[in-house]
Amino acid sequence: MLEIAGLAKRYGDREVLRGVDLTVRAGQVLGLLGANGAGKTTMVSICAGLRSADGGSVHVAGIDVARHTGRAQARMGIAPQALGVYPTLSVAENIALFARLAGMKPAEVRARVTEVARLMGLDDRLGVKAEVLSGGQKRRLHTGMAIVHRPDVLFLDEPTVGADVQSRSGILDVVRDLAASGSAIVYTTHYMTELEQLDADIAVLHDGRIVESGSIDELVQRHATASVRLRFEGDAPAEPPSGWEAEGELLVSTLAAANPGPAIAQVLAELGEDANRLKGIDLERASLESAYRAITGDTSRKEELDVVAA
Amino acid sequence: MLSRRSLVIARSGLKLVLTDPAPMVTTIAMPLLLGAFLIPNARATLRLRGFANATGAEYVIPGMAVLFAFFGITMIGTLFFREHAWGTWDRLRASSATTADLLVGKLTPLYLCYLVQMAVLFGLGYLLFGFRVTGSIMGLALLVLVLVLVLVAFGAMLVAVFSTMDQALTVGSLLGMVMSGLGGALAPSNTLPEWSQAIAHFMPPYWALEGLRKVSLEHGTLSDVTTNLLVLGVFAVIFAGVATFRFNASDAKVGNT
Ligand SMILES: Nc1ncnc2c1ncn2[C@@H]1O[C@H](COP(=O)(O)OP(=O)(O)OP(=O)(O)O)[C@@H](O)[C@H]1O
Ligand SMILES: [Mg+2]
Repeated sequence: MLEIAGLAKRYGDREVLRGVDLTVRAGQVLGLLGANGAGKTTMVSICAGLRSADGGSVHVAGIDVARHTGRAQARMGIAPQALGVYPTLSVAENIALFARLAGMKPAEVRARVTEVARLMGLDDRLGVKAEVLSGGQKRRLHTGMAIVHRPDVLFLDEPTVGADVQSRSGILDVVRDLAASGSAIVYTTHYMTELEQLDADIAVLHDGRIVESGSIDELVQRHATASVRLRFEGDAPAEPPSGWEAEGELLVSTLAAANPGPAIAQVLAELGEDANRLKGIDLERASLESAYRAITGDTSRKEELDVVAA
Repeated sequence: MLSRRSLVIARSGLKLVLTDPAPMVTTIAMPLLLGAFLIPNARATLRLRGFANATGAEYVIPGMAVLFAFFGITMIGTLFFREHAWGTWDRLRASSATTADLLVGKLTPLYLCYLVQMAVLFGLGYLLFGFRVTGSIMGLALLVLVLVLVLVAFGAMLVAVFSTMDQALTVGSLLGMVMSGLGGALAPSNTLPEWSQAIAHFMPPYWALEGLRKVSLEHGTLSDVTTNLLVLGVFAVIFAGVATFRFNASDAKVGNT
């Protein structure tokens, strides 16, 4: 449904995208991960026909976005990262505008406005001006405006920023329903648990390319490691059990165990006297987050620092 | 030209403009208020110059209408620049509306507001201040229609050229003031210094006001104002040309919320 090939984008002499290849099928939710400044918003904006690319192509339902922008845009919806609602128009008017732009008839517009407001939990706020909504409600309205025309391809760029627990799970429900009804969805977020809840497929944008993609299970299997750290009062035991390494006050598991529980039980049994000096246990299970860290490696942190410095 | 999508955008644009009525109030109330003070003097002057039945409104109403229409150009702030501050411009661009739909849709409310302004001012000028048309009503109507076209094209040019709302609105009202003043909105241009009479011919308000005076005071026929209509038309085409040439929907603009 969405095909991105060799997509390149430069801002001045800063190469942000350096050949992005990505395909999203109908009914698929693709979680797009990447550090701040990795180029997610840039990529999504190019796909939606809002910015031009310096190379490569984007096709939506077989339509070339750069060549037939309007026709492609009719099949797409985007809720940009930056909030975009008309503060002086009511919730209903905000949604209706985009229903009308999509060519719906008045009766259809009315029905769809009610439906989208219900999906977004705004049904009791239809007549209220958008400016008086709370931050999370505005974000939901903002997302609702992108789905009103039932797009085949939907881009949600950090849709849950500022949303409370209920709104967040509401938005996730809507995403699941849309995917179930056949939309291809690109979902950008920094909250990995959301992607786990959506059981999304993952693509990691790093250094201007998609460096890894697959299901969460695949990524976790390929990259994630569980790590266990035992912290001691004073130095960690000098002669650690096998599979463990002493680093100052820490005893660190060198086993990439999928299930670290038994390893911990074993090491605790072997500690003997040293167990009295045990201060704490840190356990990080193999998760999407640890896989993501492994994939982006140290360079991602270095780049984040560069971004901060710049 | 008026595609379905541009009509949808025009409709919402009109709603947005009307939620901030200040510019419309300025363009209608100010000319009437200021005009009331200027009319007696204008009447005396016109009678001295041989227009025995003149009320003064024939001179003051069109002048004030044109001058304050330029102040009404602040509506482009709501129609274009604020969309950027609200984050909605990109949403419109991401819809299947084309750049032409956006431009036409956004400029139509401006055109309608100006038409309403002119209709109300000339109507109330007639009822309250004795504005009369001794010549061609058709001439008056066409002059107003083309003048409004010039104003809208001027607004579009400001949008296309400037990247911040403050710049566009400041320059817009300053230029409007200069063009209206030199064009004879405040005092007949033939009472102004010679140098300014020479450049008055390059000011769209001059041609509008001269034409309006012909039809209201001097029994002007449609053919008497053909030149005025043509010159105004040329200005509209020039402004619209610059606007089209410079306008880029993907330009980042800075608006105030
Ligand atoms: N219009 C622009 N002009 C110049 N540089 C830009 C522009 N937009 C983005 N950039 C730069 O391009 C890089 C990628 O930005 P982008 O917004 O795409 O990142 P992102 O992955 O969406 O980040 P985040 O997670 O913070 O939203 C950044 O370094 C940013 O500074
Ligand atoms: Mg972003």
